[in-house]
Amino acid sequence: MSDLSVSMSAAGGLPQAPVLPEAPAKVTVRNLNFYYGEHHALKNINLALGTNRVTAFIGPSGCGKSTLLRIFNRMYDLYPGQRVTGQLMLDQTNILDPKLDLNLLRARVGMVFQKPTPFPMTIYENIAFGIRLYEKISKSEMDDRVEKALRGGALWNEVKDKLNASGLSLSGGQQQRLCIARTVAVRPEVILFDEPCSALDPISTAKVEELIQELSENYTIAIVTHNMQQAARVSDKTAFMYLGELIEFDDTSKIFTSPTDRRTQDYITGRFG
Amino acid sequence: MRWLRGAKLTTSVNKLVQGIGVADMAVQSDVVDDAGPYDRARALSAFKLGDVTFYWITRLSAISVLLILGGIIISLIIGAFPAMKEFGISFLWTQRWAPSADPPVLGALGPIYGTLVTSFIAMLIAIPVGLGIAIFLTELCPQWLRRPIGMAIELLAGIPSIIYGMWGFFVLGPFLANSFQPFMIKVFDGVPVLGSIFAGPPSYLSLFNAALILAIMVLPFITSISVDVFKTVPPVLKEAAYGVGCTTWEVVRSVVIPYTRVGVIGGIMLALGRALGETMAVTFIIGNSFRISGSIFAPGTTISAAIASEFAESDGLHQSGLILLGLLLFVLTFFVLAAARLMLMRLEKKAGN
Repeated sequence: MSDLSVSMSAAGGLPQAPVLPEAPAKVTVRNLNFYYGEHHALKNINLALGTNRVTAFIGPSGCGKSTLLRIFNRMYDLYPGQRVTGQLMLDQTNILDPKLDLNLLRARVGMVFQKPTPFPMTIYENIAFGIRLYEKISKSEMDDRVEKALRGGALWNEVKDKLNASGLSLSGGQQQRLCIARTVAVRPEVILFDEPCSALDPISTAKVEELIQELSENYTIAIVTHNMQQAARVSDKTAFMYLGELIEFDDTSKIFTSPTDRRTQDYITGRFG
Repeated sequence: MRWLRGAKLTTSVNKLVQGIGVADMAVQSDVVDDAGPYDRARALSAFKLGDVTFYWITRLSAISVLLILGGIIISLIIGAFPAMKEFGISFLWTQRWAPSADPPVLGALGPIYGTLVTSFIAMLIAIPVGLGIAIFLTELCPQWLRRPIGMAIELLAGIPSIIYGMWGFFVLGPFLANSFQPFMIKVFDGVPVLGSIFAGPPSYLSLFNAALILAIMVLPFITSISVDVFKTVPPVLKEAAYGVGCTTWEVVRSVVIPYTRVGVIGGIMLALGRALGETMAVTFIIGNSFRISGSIFAPGTTISAAIASEFAESDGLHQSGLILLGLLLFVLTFFVLAAARLMLMRLEKKAGN
């Protein structure tokens, strides 16, 4: 009982986002199972990502959070021996359709990774590269789009004088925001964040979190995180996963103050994980 | 007898264990603790001797490279000196090679031309094919096909060059002369420039055949080095590129190759170095003609092929001329590698590093 009260006070001390009304589902997951060869990594997952909402996935390492995220943009397709069953819809599109154009899917579902992954090119090119894959636009239009994307990534003021420097010359936090800007630049509908702050210092982390909040006005966001305060700060809904199962999925405030499942409670109070 | 030896062994092991026990106790006692720093210093000085020896052994190994290189350059210059004095700088652009004329006339233009042309054509063929294989192996190949192709590449690298020479002479040369060459000659007949590059008559022994053999020989270098460096691209970087919606080709072109270009160019340079200097296979199939012809289907010669085919029966000025050719090859290779390095530096600048 005392543990629960600790968790309540911990969560209570954080700035809580007001509980928003239920949003229509953008991504719907039904009876999803995932296998790494013989290993049954995800078991019967059912949930929905609300449109323009932030959904956080928490749980101990190896519970399948990142695996689930990598199904949303079919990243698992790159590796042989990984397969999935069940249903996964992005609006009316069946994401698991083997005939689906993966490049178009990934334009609609962008991803930001744990480690910053700037491409080996200039800052400008890092952004323009993704845009050029889909659109043929003039140089001046491209300049506009790059600026807009970098502003979207809260990076413009820091890099506007060195757009031709290598993306690799930026600091870790800046690189991560560059990756976010790059993802935003292709105008996706959903953005997946796979532990986006785990390699960043606290100040960069705060900036990225702020950015995620802003982005949620226009994008549907899923974020995997090991940092429970972060989940509490940025998300509207939280899913707790454990050993490949979805244990609990509810409003973030509910998960962090009065979880229904014993295991969720144990995890958020730091008993295991 | 056997058990006795066993027993002996046991006692000695026991002693050893006891010894360790005593040492442990000694460390714990205060008396030895005082002497500790001194003992430690002695132990360290013993290591120091080893360190100094190690330093000198490695240093001498490194210096020996410089000595060997310097020795080769000096002996080449000494050997080539008579020819340099006789023919001067015009050696570089004289086409005539007549060692038995009176007075002998020697010119390096033919071999230099042949070396450059065969290497150029070889790289023109080997770079795209080699990179193609590497890309297929690392990005697209189904798992079960990976090992067979990888092993085939390694075996290709292991074939001695004399075997390439024989195969080129008996199999590839006739095949090309009967099928590919007539076809090209016919297709480009009358086309300006190209018509004279692919001019007849077809020949078993030609620059093109030599270049093709060279391409096959340097292919494994390009492929295996490219495969190795392609494997160093972090998977997450590729995923990021796929994540913005790249196709495999776009990922390779915009992420994998830029990320690994230093390594890839290194592999290409290694291959070029081999193509410039390759001797045996080329000597077999190039025809050893010092006359320069505009057609790549005509016989020619390279620097190393000229040396290999004439050195045994040469003397005096002729031999000195061949040594001078060797020196030229040395300089040529040096400049090609230096140019490659320069290109690399400019590429890096362009990428914004």
